Amino acid sequence: MKRSSTVPSRRDGQTLSQKPGNQNEARGINYESPAAKFGFGILGAVLLLGLWQFAAIRGTFGNGLPTVSATLIELFALFGNPEFWTDTFTTIWLAVLGMVIAVVAGVMLGLLIGTIDWVRYATLAVTEFFKPIPPIVVLPLCVMIWGPTNTMALALVLLGTVLSTTIQVIAGVNDTDPVALSTARSYGMGRVERLLRVTLPSASPYIGTSVRIGAPAALIIVVVAGLLGGAPGLGSAIYRSQSAGDFPQTYALVLVLGVLGLVAQNLSSMIERRVLHWHPAFREDVK
Amino acid sequence: MNSTIPTTTQPKAGSTPVARLEVQGLAKTYGHGPKSVEVIKDLTFSIHAGEVVCIVGPSGVGKTTLLKCLAGLQPSSGGTMKIDGHQVSGPPAEMALVFQDYSRSLMPWLTVEKNLLLPLRHLHLPAAEVRTRIEEALNEVGLSHAAKRYPWQLSGGMQQRVAIARALAYRPEILIMDEPFASVDAQTRFDLEDLCLKIRDELGMTILLVTHDIDEAVYLSDRIVAIGNKPAQVLEVLPVDLPQPRNQITSRALPEFSGLRTKVLSLIRQSES
Repeated sequence: MKRSSTVPSRRDGQTLSQKPGNQNEARGINYESPAAKFGFGILGAVLLLGLWQFAAIRGTFGNGLPTVSATLIELFALFGNPEFWTDTFTTIWLAVLGMVIAVVAGVMLGLLIGTIDWVRYATLAVTEFFKPIPPIVVLPLCVMIWGPTNTMALALVLLGTVLSTTIQVIAGVNDTDPVALSTARSYGMGRVERLLRVTLPSASPYIGTSVRIGAPAALIIVVVAGLLGGAPGLGSAIYRSQSAGDFPQTYALVLVLGVLGLVAQNLSSMIERRVLHWHPAFREDVK
Repeated sequence: MNSTIPTTTQPKAGSTPVARLEVQGLAKTYGHGPKSVEVIKDLTFSIHAGEVVCIVGPSGVGKTTLLKCLAGLQPSSGGTMKIDGHQVSGPPAEMALVFQDYSRSLMPWLTVEKNLLLPLRHLHLPAAEVRTRIEEALNEVGLSHAAKRYPWQLSGGMQQRVAIARALAYRPEILIMDEPFASVDAQTRFDLEDLCLKIRDELGMTILLVTHDIDEAVYLSDRIVAIGNKPAQVLEVLPVDLPQPRNQITSRALPEFSGLRTKVLSLIRQSES
């Protein structure tokens, strides 16, 4: 899990693909058009599936790699299985709930730590200590306390996301423009009002970044909690199919996870773009 | 702090001037002991109701520190500041501040009208009055059409007009501006200067402006407070007797105009050497 405190730079994706833009225009392909994006995206996926199928038929990885067709058949079989849907929804629910709690807790902690000096100094050593500890290390401890339960998975998600969200919010609070704060003060706005109406919106790009990084991370942690800790959800489903030697089902479940990750990533980016439409990184019209 | 809802009509400076803002022996020293830096030594001046007063000094003289002290954003090390005879500590309710850096004082996540609304919320005014104040203020600065836009969609001059409109909607009795026209182009600067004089005439506001531009100070002021030297102290308070209303072309062409400019400039030059 990355805990960088960076705010999205200005349209990072676009500047990359626009650099060779002139050459591409000369060849008549506009890589920015939705059709081209979709088409080339499909091309990449198909190439990968082809490679997979080829390796599976050749038997490069022995039993460990089933064919694409066997996996897809198993995937469609899963769609008819109510247990699969329960697992999927449990995983999504735990990840979303964890993320929501992490953001609320992170914002409250971040505002507290970021604005009150003694709290900042009191928590500095503690946060620095916990920062490099990945949640997976704490997993055995959580299993010991809560057993293979939803609570355990949720606790693990929080351990993995609250701190990074808090650190982002602190960075956002520190980045609040002193001129904006002075303006608010000179107009007689109170401490709490300044915090909610100036500091919090100023920090919102940082909160957006933490959600964008945290949402896929939360999903991964829930799956790990299931896979290694036996918590309900897709993780333990993968574990069960794997230990039963049902590799096509294992791969089908991994595919589902991949899609969920993609959705989580895109959804959080979309919400970020909506909410932060005023931020220089997302502004639509440039003067 | 006295009444929070200021009245908009003040008697114009004229036959019986009243000291609205009185600064007596204001001093500011940063730090303690041998490492301390004395930024402001002794500032004493007063501003009458409805007056436009400019504080002029060379750059780096501590004008911004002075302003922060006046606006109650920073405690002073000595001296007193009184509004209508009442001593002020914290940011006075009857005062509004316009910063030089409009791009940083306007909130980019709020539309123009929401930026105007921001400081009004805690006054708990009736909704209808809030609406009227915002509409009138935007109308005053000629930005009614931009109410729903975001500050960053506007030009620099327009953004500074939004910042001024925000101050107007707050209906302060005293408007303090920190080099408000320093980062806009020359033409916009003239327009904003005239806007400044217009709101004084129409709303009877008392305006204190800090600038390093001597021409601007002469053009706008009823009186000029020339400050100089490190640490800052008042060199002289000069009355500006140019006829009202001022005009960008004719007022600036008057011999009195260049006379005053020369006087202020030589005062400041002398203090520097």
